[in-house]
Amino acid sequence: MAGSRRRAGRDPLNVGRVLPAVLIAILLGGCSGVQSVLDPAGRDAEVLARLFWWMLGGAVILWVLMNGLLVYVSRIDTRPLSARAAEWLIIGGGIVFPTVVLAGLLSFALSEMPEQRAPGSGLTVSVTGESWWWRVEYLPDGAETPVVSANEIRLPVGRRSEITLNAHRVIHSFWIPALGGKTDMIPGRETRMSLEPTRAGEFRGQCAEFCGESHALMALGAVVMDEDAFAAWLEKEAAPAVPPESDAARRGQAVFNAEGCGACHAVRGTAASGRVGPDLTHVGGRVSLAAGILPMTAEALMRWIRDPEAIKPGAMMPGYDHLSDDDLSALAAYLEGLT
Amino acid sequence: MLGPRESSLWHMISAPTIWALHFCVVYGWTASVCARGPDPAAARLGIGIATAVALLGIAVVGWRAWRQWDYLDDYDYEHDGPSVEDRREFLGHAGWLLAIVSAIGVIFVGMPALFIETCL
Repeated sequence: MAGSRRRAGRDPLNVGRVLPAVLIAILLGGCSGVQSVLDPAGRDAEVLARLFWWMLGGAVILWVLMNGLLVYVSRIDTRPLSARAAEWLIIGGGIVFPTVVLAGLLSFALSEMPEQRAPGSGLTVSVTGESWWWRVEYLPDGAETPVVSANEIRLPVGRRSEITLNAHRVIHSFWIPALGGKTDMIPGRETRMSLEPTRAGEFRGQCAEFCGESHALMALGAVVMDEDAFAAWLEKEAAPAVPPESDAARRGQAVFNAEGCGACHAVRGTAASGRVGPDLTHVGGRVSLAAGILPMTAEALMRWIRDPEAIKPGAMMPGYDHLSDDDLSALAAYLEGLT
Repeated sequence: MLGPRESSLWHMISAPTIWALHFCVVYGWTASVCARGPDPAAARLGIGIATAVALLGIAVVGWRAWRQWDYLDDYDYEHDGPSVEDRREFLGHAGWLLAIVSAIGVIFVGMPALFIETCL
């Protein structure tokens, strides 16, 4: 005992004091940011954050009361209780009190649920979980053919949009913590949810159901835009790809065609019409690459095309490490130009 | 069928058994109605009826257990003697407490139907 105290006194890093500060800093880091439940930017996320704070507050009060009682009966007043008092403590504190508290919390949580399932108005976004990326299709009110995109979801602010969810081979779960709750995506069964963003900005979603080796690398960019900006963006997204402008990009398109990329990927307005992989018609306009894992830069595109397996283990796309740096760079210029 | 009330365990656990059956009926009924229809109103009606029937059953079981315990006759809640009376009172006492837990369980299982208005 004395020895350990001496050791603690000589501890040059003072771990006993530094460690709590470090832990608190790490925990507080989760209170804001693009993927935080506690920094809501949507109606549903606000409800969930409020629920969390109520639950946390209740838990803290109960913890303090319980431990206060423990200290009281074991340190301050250690006389034994009478049989009658003990009986009332057990019945009141062990049965009645938890039943009432749990019934209250359950009613509160359940009463918030219908709102989470409110129908959307206008826009429907269909998201399909693939291994390990997201197929995203926008269907504005009255439209017959969807606008196909991938790995990024854009929503208008201040409007409730309908989200329909499917999965291709295995179960995934769709979750953008800043905007709302999570919903499972199940092969062969369509599930639905709706989201009503309240603040424009860029957020991040994450697959929340283990779906294979690159589950942790299956993220999703989420961009909330003003209504007008969204309408303009959707119109642009629906249009065919812009033709390559620079020489490098034109050469990149030739490499794209020669390597057969179009067998798996679609670039609308060109011969490439594959449906196996993500639609690349406007890939350069997205905020991230490879389902939220890499920045949308020429270097990242080259790294990805050269060896997808190194970035996302188990990825279906083969590596193209036989291409020269020149070819890869041209390909990256072509894809980056597809805005 | 359940054996003599004074010595059979079956009477003691009949309330939790009703709770378990209620759980299965509510989940099975909701799943099948929502898969067929979906008809949330029918799902809620069925859950309401199943919950009312289960609570009635538990109330009957609990009342009988309370009588078997006969607490108000002798205010006896310790039943550790090797006698027929202690066995009878113990089984009644335990059955009564289990009936309370089962009633709370049934209410909690049925409660979502009060709030949730859709199948999905």
